[in-house]
Amino acid sequence: MDALNNLMYGFGIALEPINIAYVFAGVFAGTIIGMLPGLGPISALALMIPITFSMEPSSGLILMAGVYYGAIFGGSTSSILLNAPGVAGTVATSFDGYPMAKKGQAGKALAIAAYASFIGGTVSVVFLMLVAPLLSKVAVSFGPAEYFALMVLGLTAVVSLSDKSLVKGLIAAVVGVMISIVGIDMQTGTERFTLGSINLLDGIDFLVVALGIFALAEVFYMLLRGGDSKEGPRNAIGSLKLTRSEVGEIAGPVSRSSVLGFFTGVLPGAGATIGSFLGYSMEKKIAKDGDTFGKGNIKGVAAPEAANNAACTGSFVPLLTLGVPGSGTTAVLLGALLVMGVNPGPMMLEQRPDVFWGVVASMYIGNIFLLVLNLPLIPFIAKILDMPKALLLSLILIFCMIGVYGMSFSVFDLLLLLGFGILGLGMRLFGFPAAPLILALILGNIMEESMRRALQISGGDWMTFIDKPISLALLVIAALSLTLPLIKKRRRKA
Amino acid sequence: MTRLNTNQWLALVLALVAAAYIAMAWQIPTFPLPRPVDSDLFPKVLGFTLLLLSVFLFFEKPAPIAGADTIDPNAPRGPLLFTPWARVIVTALAVAAYALLLVPLGFVLASTLLCVGLTTYYGYHRYFVTLATTLGVVLSLYLVMTRVMDVYLPTGVLPF
Repeated sequence: MDALNNLMYGFGIALEPINIAYVFAGVFAGTIIGMLPGLGPISALALMIPITFSMEPSSGLILMAGVYYGAIFGGSTSSILLNAPGVAGTVATSFDGYPMAKKGQAGKALAIAAYASFIGGTVSVVFLMLVAPLLSKVAVSFGPAEYFALMVLGLTAVVSLSDKSLVKGLIAAVVGVMISIVGIDMQTGTERFTLGSINLLDGIDFLVVALGIFALAEVFYMLLRGGDSKEGPRNAIGSLKLTRSEVGEIAGPVSRSSVLGFFTGVLPGAGATIGSFLGYSMEKKIAKDGDTFGKGNIKGVAAPEAANNAACTGSFVPLLTLGVPGSGTTAVLLGALLVMGVNPGPMMLEQRPDVFWGVVASMYIGNIFLLVLNLPLIPFIAKILDMPKALLLSLILIFCMIGVYGMSFSVFDLLLLLGFGILGLGMRLFGFPAAPLILALILGNIMEESMRRALQISGGDWMTFIDKPISLALLVIAALSLTLPLIKKRRRKA
Repeated sequence: MTRLNTNQWLALVLALVAAAYIAMAWQIPTFPLPRPVDSDLFPKVLGFTLLLLSVFLFFEKPAPIAGADTIDPNAPRGPLLFTPWARVIVTALAVAAYALLLVPLGFVLASTLLCVGLTTYYGYHRYFVTLATTLGVVLSLYLVMTRVMDVYLPTGVLPF
């Protein structure tokens, strides 16, 4: 009953006209940005931060949640229409979505994606509403040692689940932490790694790094691949309508993948990509017509779409209840919240119920917007994909620059953005994953602070991290998350 | 002498970065009051971890490089100035120039120049479309940022 009352309270906030406008704007902008190949939810959220920092925190987060949803949905659109997933979370959608588009059923695939996203999103918001308060009650008992261990786990999980080299993932994470501690140490007032520059005294803003490593690096990468669009003319989108039997056919996959997606999203490091692949492969195994997956089976579009949207909502659970993001995207969201002066964590439900429940309610509304407004607009929005790449790349550059300058008014930060863009390109070319870096950048400072506070309390005794059962369990899981994939790899070789 | 592979080159560079980082960590001054953990411990741990990881990387077999299949170094690309790498370098220089000229020229002028210039350089020659789209986006951004969000953007040589 409590949850229902709180949800009503949340709807009171989310249904304020200004917040409805933000949800719509967020979903719409997210869809457009997510649709552009290469620009995923991280870039979309990072580009939005300058717009949100002067807003009420609840409105800001409502807008960001809309952008997040929209970007995932937009990613599906480019997966289906171009076979060029805007985001990793929608790669699985392209397996059957693109073959459907080639058969002239793009409209149907998009409609399935929208319905599945809607149901996945809605089911998972119900779970979020029920699970989050329980988890935050447990998390209230967390001390600095447990938090430190939790953050270590968050980082190792993201590293171990990235499809690239484990060592390179760890290097990216270490570099992320190194960047995060540049500036004045808040506990002692000591300058660290500022190289004598006053511009670095306040540290390096995460937006500069996020936009550089993701958006700017993506522009460079697209230039390297060749600036001209080589895609041929696209088929007509076709009808958006589904028959009754098709609805019946996707009902099972959508509901199963919604639940699976949510719980995958809750796990640190997993999220939309893994959720969508799990959903897809589960349905492929279960389905009687599993052999037609990959050739334009509607269940192959429905399952990953329900799962990736559900996982997006699931990833809000650790962010909002523990204050620890489980993915690069939620790390950017955490950064945005910190900029707005909100500290997510177990106390957020009590201290800022308006933000928490406002966001939960806005997720329902965002899902409805995705379905009711975005779906009919898709044929028009898809025209953006026809925009010449040359013009698009130049405009992305302007968005990146204005995003950074509008936040810090510093020319130095613009040059730093360029530096991180080059670093991001290098990381991409040499196979270093970017998500661990951005997560470590956000967590680095908090991680160090937790570690030092834990040691302060224990009088410098390092055993404090092992003596506490929760901390020990989290550290053991963290160690396992790194070693198990290695052991499996060895066994496979042997 | 055997040639080093990509990972080994990267490992050497990272080891040098780690060494420099550790050296800088040792120069962090000690806090006057005794504390269980001072400002220098965490950076030292990070430096040594990076050094250790670079050793692991040295011995890791390199996987195919991301995007190698899509970047064809031998493909004929026309004049040197229009090769993919030249495009990246010119764009990086344009971004640096934009950063330095943003305040003296102003947001609207600098952004329009950057956007029109790069779009033309990338090979799109419908000037009217480029100019109209650029001005539309830049002016909308400018108005939203300055009038709606109260964010100051440099006006530069233009009166607004």
